[in-house]
Amino acid sequence: MLQVKNIEKYYGSKNNVTKALDRVSFDVEREEFIAIMGASGSGKTTLLNCISTIDTISAGDILLDGEKISELPAGELARFRRERLGFVFQDFNLLDTLTVEENIGLALSLNHADAAGVKGRVREIAGKLGITDILGKFPYQISGGQKQRAACARAMVAGQSLLLADEPTGALDSKASKNLLEIMTQMNRDLGATILMVTHDAYSASYAKRVLFLKDGRIFNELLRGERPRPAFYHEILDVLATLGGDISDVI
Amino acid sequence: MTLSELSLRNAKRQAADYLVYFVTIIMAAALLYAFNGLVFSGEIRELYSMMSSLPMAIVPASIVVVCIFGWLVSYAANFMLTRRSRELGTYILIGLENRQVARLFFLENLAVGGCALVLGLLIGNLLFQALRAMILALFEMPYVFSLAVSLPAAGLTLAYFLLIYLLALYKSRKRIREMKIYDLIYFDRQNEEAVIRTGRNRRRMFALSIVFGIVGTFLLMIGNLLLGIIGAGCVIFFLYGFFLTFASGVPAFFEKHPAGKYRGQNLLVFRTLTAKLGTMGMVMATISLLLTATLIALGTGLVFRGIFDGRAAEHACFDLYIGAGEKGRPVDQACLDYIEGNILVEQSLTYEVRLNENNGVRQYLDDCGIEYFYTYRQDPVIRYSDYAALRAVAGYPAAKMEPGQYLIHCIPYLSEPLEDFRQPITAGGRMLVPGGVYTEHLIQRYAADNGQGYILVVPDEAAAGCDLLHHAYAAKTARPVGEEQVEELFGISNRIAERERGDTYDSDDYDTVYANVYEEKTAAYMTALTVLPLYYLALALTMTAATILTIQQLGESRHYRRQFALLDKMGMDAGEMAKALRTQFAIYYAMPAVPPLLIGIPFILNLAKQPEPEIMVGLSSPAAIVAIALGVFFLVYAVYIGVAYISLKKNVLPER
Repeated sequence: MLQVKNIEKYYGSKNNVTKALDRVSFDVEREEFIAIMGASGSGKTTLLNCISTIDTISAGDILLDGEKISELPAGELARFRRERLGFVFQDFNLLDTLTVEENIGLALSLNHADAAGVKGRVREIAGKLGITDILGKFPYQISGGQKQRAACARAMVAGQSLLLADEPTGALDSKASKNLLEIMTQMNRDLGATILMVTHDAYSASYAKRVLFLKDGRIFNELLRGERPRPAFYHEILDVLATLGGDISDVI
Repeated sequence: MTLSELSLRNAKRQAADYLVYFVTIIMAAALLYAFNGLVFSGEIRELYSMMSSLPMAIVPASIVVVCIFGWLVSYAANFMLTRRSRELGTYILIGLENRQVARLFFLENLAVGGCALVLGLLIGNLLFQALRAMILALFEMPYVFSLAVSLPAAGLTLAYFLLIYLLALYKSRKRIREMKIYDLIYFDRQNEEAVIRTGRNRRRMFALSIVFGIVGTFLLMIGNLLLGIIGAGCVIFFLYGFFLTFASGVPAFFEKHPAGKYRGQNLLVFRTLTAKLGTMGMVMATISLLLTATLIALGTGLVFRGIFDGRAAEHACFDLYIGAGEKGRPVDQACLDYIEGNILVEQSLTYEVRLNENNGVRQYLDDCGIEYFYTYRQDPVIRYSDYAALRAVAGYPAAKMEPGQYLIHCIPYLSEPLEDFRQPITAGGRMLVPGGVYTEHLIQRYAADNGQGYILVVPDEAAAGCDLLHHAYAAKTARPVGEEQVEELFGISNRIAERERGDTYDSDDYDTVYANVYEEKTAAYMTALTVLPLYYLALALTMTAATILTIQQLGESRHYRRQFALLDKMGMDAGEMAKALRTQFAIYYAMPAVPPLLIGIPFILNLAKQPEPEIMVGLSSPAAIVAIALGVFFLVYAVYIGVAYISLKKNVLPER
C-alpha cells in the first residue's frame, strides 16, 4: 500500500545542514499496524510528517497505492490528505469551539460529503469507538482518553485508508493508553485500518504487528510480531532498545 | 538587576504585544491634544466675537471623550494583563511578592504610556493643524502651517491623561495585588460567564430586545427630549439583549437543522462566531453601542452643518438686507441714515412685498404635501421692476418676463413642484400665465423676507392692486458689511422697537437684518460650535470600537492559527480556508455594525427632515446626509477591516 523508497530529509542552511532522515526505505501492507520507535531526534516525527505530506522530502520517493505523493501539486496534496489520510496527534488537536460530534463530522464536511448523512455516519463510527454518549460535549468537557478516541473517529470517519498516529498515548495515563491501543487494534483488525504509529513507548509499540527502529535518521532494526503473544513481543522490543545503547533512558 | 531595569527590559521585549496599547494611547493623546489646542488658540478666538464660547462646547465633549478613552485604556491594560498573566504569575511563583509584580506591571505600562504620550502630543499637533485649517477654511481665512506647540493644551492633555491612565493602571494594579498565583497563571483561560443560559429565557429576552429596539428607534425619532432619553435606554437594552441572546440562539437553530451545519464551511463559520459571541456578547453589544453613537453623532453633525450651510446660503445673497417687521411700516429711517453715514453703498433698492388676494400656489404646495415653514397663507407678490432691480443688487442675470405672464422665484427645495405648476393666476384683477421659475437664493424664509418659500413676480400694474405685506431694503456695498455695523443696525432697530412699542415684545416690531459676511461667519461659528464636538465624539467612538475589535482579534489569532494549521493537515483546500476565514471575518465585523444601521438610518433621516426641511437640499438633503454619514462611517470601518484582514490572513493561514 505504502512504499517509502530511500527518502532523505535535510534541514538547515548551506553551511549548517542537519540530516533528519537518511536513506529510509520500507513498505507498508494494507491493514498493517506498524510502530516506528526511536529516541528523541531520531527522525520519527519527521518521517511521519513526510509521509503525511505536511513536510517535503529532500530525496527519494513515497508512493501510496503506486502514486508518488512527493510529486503531487499543492491542491492535490490537500485532497490526498483529506481523502486518504487520518491523523491522531499527541495533543489531540480537536477544535475547542466544536462539539465532539462536530469535530468528527468536520472530516466529512471537508470532503464535501452529503450534509444530511453526516450525523448518521458520525454516530456509526462513534458507536464503534464507544463515544456515543459524549458526542454533544465540547473537548474541554471530556477526558484525554475520550479526546483521543474522538480524534481516532475523526481519522477514520471519511473512509481514510491510512491512519497516521504521532505519539497518540503521549498525553494519556496508563489506563487510557491501554484503552486507546486496544481501540486502535480493533480499528486495524475489525475495520481494516492501516496504521502507522510513531511512539517512544515500548508498551504502545507492542500492540503493533511490526516495529521499525530509527536511530540518527536511519532504520536501525525491524521486529515482526508474528504469532507471538503481546507480552513476549514487548520484551523483545525492550531488548532491541537496550542494544540502542545510551539512548535507552530516552525510549522506555 | 533592579525592578525598574527588569520592567524596562520587559517593555522592550514585549514591544509587539504592547503595540495595540501603545497605538491606543497615541491616538487618545493626539485627539485630546488637538481639540485642547482649539480651546486655547487665540487665533481661533479672534476669528469671530462669539468664538470665545468654543471651549464651552469642546470641554464637555472632551470630558465624554476622556470617559470613553478611560474605558478603552483600561480595556487595553486588561488585555495586556491577560497576555502576560502567565509570565507575571511565574514571577510570583519564583518568589516575587504580588506588590512587586504589580509595581513591575505599573512601571512597564508607565514607560510604554509615557513614550506613547510624547508621540501622541507630536501627532496631536499635526491633527491640531488640520483642525485649525478646517476652521480657518470655514471662516474663509488664509491658513499658514505652524508647528508651534501650545503649552496649555499640552498641560490639559497631560491632566486628562493622568486621569485616564492612572485609573486604568490602578485597576490592573489592584487586580494583580489581589490575585492568587493560580488566577494569574490561568487568567487567559477565563471567559465571560454566559449571562442567559436557558432556552426559554433566551428566546423571551431575544423577542423583548427586538421590541425594545423598534420602540427605542421610534422614540429617538420623535424629537422630544424625555422620550429621546427613554428611546436611548430602549436601544441600549436592545443591543445588550440582542447580543447576549443571539449567540446562544444560533446553536439551537443548527440543532434543529443539522444538515445545514455540515454544508460547505457553515460548521467552522458558525461555531467560531458563536464561540466568540458566546463569550464576548457584552463586548460586542458595547461595540455596537459605540458604533450606533458614532453613526448618530456623524449624522447629527451633518444635519447641523446642512442647516447652517443652508441658512447661510439663503440669507447671505445680499451684501445687506433689511426687512421691516411691522406690516406696512417702512424700513426705519434711522437705519437708512446709519447706512448712508457708515456704509459705502454701490447699488440699493427700497421696495415692497405684497400679498395677492388669493392663495392658489400655497394651496397647490399644500396639496402636494410638501412641508416648509410659512406664517401667512396668501401668495406673496413683488413688482417685476423691483424684482429685476433686486436681481441686479444680488448680482444675478436678468430674468425676462413677457406681458401677461408671471414668474415664480422660489427656494431650491420647492423648485420641483413649482416647475410643474402650470396654472394661470389672478393678481390685482389681471389674469396671468406662468412665465418661468427661478431658484437663486433671495432670502425667502420668514415673514419679513421676499416671500416664504416662494414669491410671485407680477407686472407692476398687477402688484399695485395687491395688499402691502412689508417694506424691504437691499443693497450692494463696496466693502463687506462688518460685524460691528450689523450689530449697530440691530441695535438701532431694537431701540426703536422698544421705544415706540414699549415692553410688549412682538417679533413683528423688529426689523430683519441680514449681511452676507455676518451670515457666513455666524454659520461658520455655529458649525464650529456644534459640528466639531460631534465629529470629535464620532472619531473617539470609532477609534474605541476599532481598537477593541483589534484587541479581540489579536487575542484570537493564536486560536485561528491553530485551527487553520489543523485544517491544513486534514487536507482543507487553501482556497477554502481563505474563504472560511473571510466569511468568519465578514460576519464578525458585520454583526456589531448591523444594529447601528437599523437604528441610525431612520434616526438621521428623520432628524434631517425635522427642523428646517426647506433648506435641506442638495448635499444636505436627508438621503444625501444618510449616504455621506454611512460613507464616512464605512470608510473608516472598511479601512480598519481591510488592514485587520490582511494582517490576520498573513498570520493565521498556513504558509505555502
